[in-house]
Amino acid sequence: MANTFKSDPIEFKPAEAKPAPDSTVGIVAWMRGNLFSSIPNAAFTILIMLGLANVIPDIIDWMFISSTWSGANQDACVGDGACWVFVKAWSQQFFYGSYTTDQIWRVNLSLILLFVVIVMSFTLPASYRLKVSVPLFLVLPFLCIAILDGRLVGLEHVNTDFWGGFSLNVLMAAAAIIVAFPFSFLWALGRRSDMPLARSISVVFIEFFRGVPVLALFFMGSVMLPLFFAEGTNVDKLVRVWIVLIFFMSGYMAEVFRGGFQAIPSGQYEAADSIGLGYWQKTLLIILPQVIKVSMPNILATFVMLFKNTVFLLIIGIPEVLQTLLTALSNSNWLGGHAIEGYVFVGVIFWLCCFGMSMLASNIEKKLDTSHRN
Amino acid sequence: MSTESKVADSVEDTIIIKDLNKWYGDFHVLKDINLTVKKGEKIVICGPSGSGKSTTIRCINRLEEFQRGSLIVNGVEMVEDVKNIEAIRREVGMVFQHFNLFPHLTILENLTLGPIWVQKKPKAEAEEIAMKYLERVKIPEQADKFPGQLSGGQQQRVAIARSLCMSPQIMLFDEPTSALDPEMIKEVLDVMVELADEGMTMLCVTHEMGFAKKVADRVIFMDAGEIVEQNTPEELFNNPQTDRLQLFLSQILDH
Ligand SMILES: Nc1ncnc2c1ncn2[C@@H]1O[C@H](COP(=O)(O)OP(=O)(O)O)[C@@H](O)[C@H]1O
Ligand SMILES: [Mg+2]
Repeated sequence: MANTFKSDPIEFKPAEAKPAPDSTVGIVAWMRGNLFSSIPNAAFTILIMLGLANVIPDIIDWMFISSTWSGANQDACVGDGACWVFVKAWSQQFFYGSYTTDQIWRVNLSLILLFVVIVMSFTLPASYRLKVSVPLFLVLPFLCIAILDGRLVGLEHVNTDFWGGFSLNVLMAAAAIIVAFPFSFLWALGRRSDMPLARSISVVFIEFFRGVPVLALFFMGSVMLPLFFAEGTNVDKLVRVWIVLIFFMSGYMAEVFRGGFQAIPSGQYEAADSIGLGYWQKTLLIILPQVIKVSMPNILATFVMLFKNTVFLLIIGIPEVLQTLLTALSNSNWLGGHAIEGYVFVGVIFWLCCFGMSMLASNIEKKLDTSHRN
Repeated sequence: MSTESKVADSVEDTIIIKDLNKWYGDFHVLKDINLTVKKGEKIVICGPSGSGKSTTIRCINRLEEFQRGSLIVNGVEMVEDVKNIEAIRREVGMVFQHFNLFPHLTILENLTLGPIWVQKKPKAEAEEIAMKYLERVKIPEQADKFPGQLSGGQQQRVAIARSLCMSPQIMLFDEPTSALDPEMIKEVLDVMVELADEGMTMLCVTHEMGFAKKVADRVIFMDAGEIVEQNTPEELFNNPQTDRLQLFLSQILDH
C-alpha cells in the first residue's frame, strides 16, 4: 500500500479552533436566551423583577441593617430588625442540644468522622474506593454511637436524653441511611427475584414504608415497637426512632436501587454468568458496585428528603433542632417574639446542607454522564 | 435424569447437540438443531440477522434455556441442576459482541475475577495468569487501566483474555468484531487466528469470510432457526446448495 504513493505526501494541518461568536456566549446571550426569549417570557421576567425589587430591600434591611448582633440577653434586642442575639445565645443548644458542655468535642468528632468518610468515598482512587469506604460506612454509625454514649470507649456516659440539636438531625439521618443501605439492597433484589414469595414480601414491605407518612411511622415506632421487644427491656427512644427511620429509608432506597438495577445492561449479567460466578458473587462483585455508582445522585436526593424529615422527630418529643427552637421560644427569659429569627436560622442551616448535597449530586451526575459510556 | 451421564459417542466429541428446540413464548426460535463438534474443531456460524445463531451458541453455556432436545458438553449433560451448569460454564469461555467488560474493575481485575472467585486461586497466581494472557493479546501495558479508557479493539482482546484465564476447553464467539471500527477488526481476528492455531475448540458466529476461510473446519449456515447447510468453507461459499444461502452470500458480498 504505502509504496503506491510516489511523490512526497502533502502535510495535513488541522484548521485552528476559533472561539464561538459573542452572541452565543456570555451573560447578555444567556439573558436573551432564557429570560427574554419571547414577549410573554419577557413580561413575566419584568414582573418578577419588580416584585423582587419590592421585597428584597426590606428583607436585607431586616436581616442585616436594622438587626442586632451583639448582646447577651433579651435586653439587647432594641432595634427594628432581627435580633440575632437570640440565635447566638441559644446556638449551643441548637447544635448540640443538652449534651454535656465539656464533652461536646465528642459530637464534633462524630461529625468530623462522618465528613471524612464521605469525602473519602468520593476521593479515594477508584481501584479500591468501594473496598475501603463500604466497610468504613458500615462501622461508622456504631462507632459514633459508642463515642457519643461513652460507656464502651471508657468516656463519661452521656444519656441519650441529653443528645439533641442539629447534630442529632445530621447523625440520625446518616446512621439511618447507612444501616438502611444493605436492607434496601436486599429488598430491591427481592423485588426483582423470580421467587414469588420473596417478591411479594418485598413489594408489600417497600410499598408499606413508602405509602405511610413518616409521622405515622414515628408514632408507631414510639408506641407499637415496644410491644415487639421482650417485656421489661426498655429500649431507648432514640434506638426506636432509628429503627423506624431505617425501615422508612430502606423502602425508598429499595426503589432507588431498583432503578439502578435496571440501568445495568444485561451483558454484565451474561459476562458474569459465562465466567461461572455464582448468584451472590455476581450480585456483590459485579452488579452492586455498578448499581451504587449509577444510583448515587438518587441516593443523595433520598438522603436530603430523609434529612429534612428528621425534624418530625419533635412530634414524639426528641430534642432535635426544631424542638430545641420551640423550647427556646417558650423560655421565660426570651418571650420577646423571636420566632422569625429562629425559623429563618433553622431554615438557612437546613437549606445550606441540602443545597450542598444537591450540588454534589448534580456534580456526580455530570461525571457519570461522561464516564459511564464505554 | 442422571446428572453426569456419560453419553458421548466418542471422547473426541466435545459438544453434542441433539434435536434442540427452543421457543420464546409462541415463537419457535430453534428448530431441531443437530450439531456435533469434535475436540479442536473450529466452526463458523453465519446466517441472516435473527436466524438464531446467538441463541444456539448461548444454549451451549446455558445463557439460554431450551425446551426440548439434549445438549452434552465435555460428557456432561446440561440439565436444570445449577451445579451442572456451573461445571459446564467453567469449561466454556464466551466472547460477546459488546465485550461486556466490567467497567468498575481494572483490566487486571477483570481478568483475575474468575480465577480468584471461581477457581479459588491465590491472588498472586491469578495475576500471573492474567498477565500471561494480556501479553498474548498484546496489551500487558493496559493492565491498570479501566475498560472505558481502552479502544474497542483493545477491549475485545481483553475480553478474550478474560475468558482464556479460566483455561476453557471451548470458546464461543458471538460476532466478536461486528461492534468494532474497521481498523480494529484485524487486531481481534489475529488473536482469534492464533488461538485457533493452538488447537482450541471454537464456535464463532461471524460474517468475516476471510477468517472463516482461514481457520474454519466447517461453516454452518443458519436461517429461520434451522441449520440449512454445513460444509467446508470453500465448498459452502463457492458452491451453495440452497437458494437461501445463495441469497445470503450475494447480500454479504455486495458491499
Ligand atoms: N429474549 C428474547 N425474547 C423474544 N425473542 C427473542 C429474544 N431473544 C431473541 N429473540 C428472537 O429470536 C430470534 C433469534 O435471535 P438471535 O439468536 O439473537 O439471532 P441472530 O444472532 O442470528 O441474529 C430473533 O428473531 C430474535 O428477535
Ligand atoms: Mg446475534
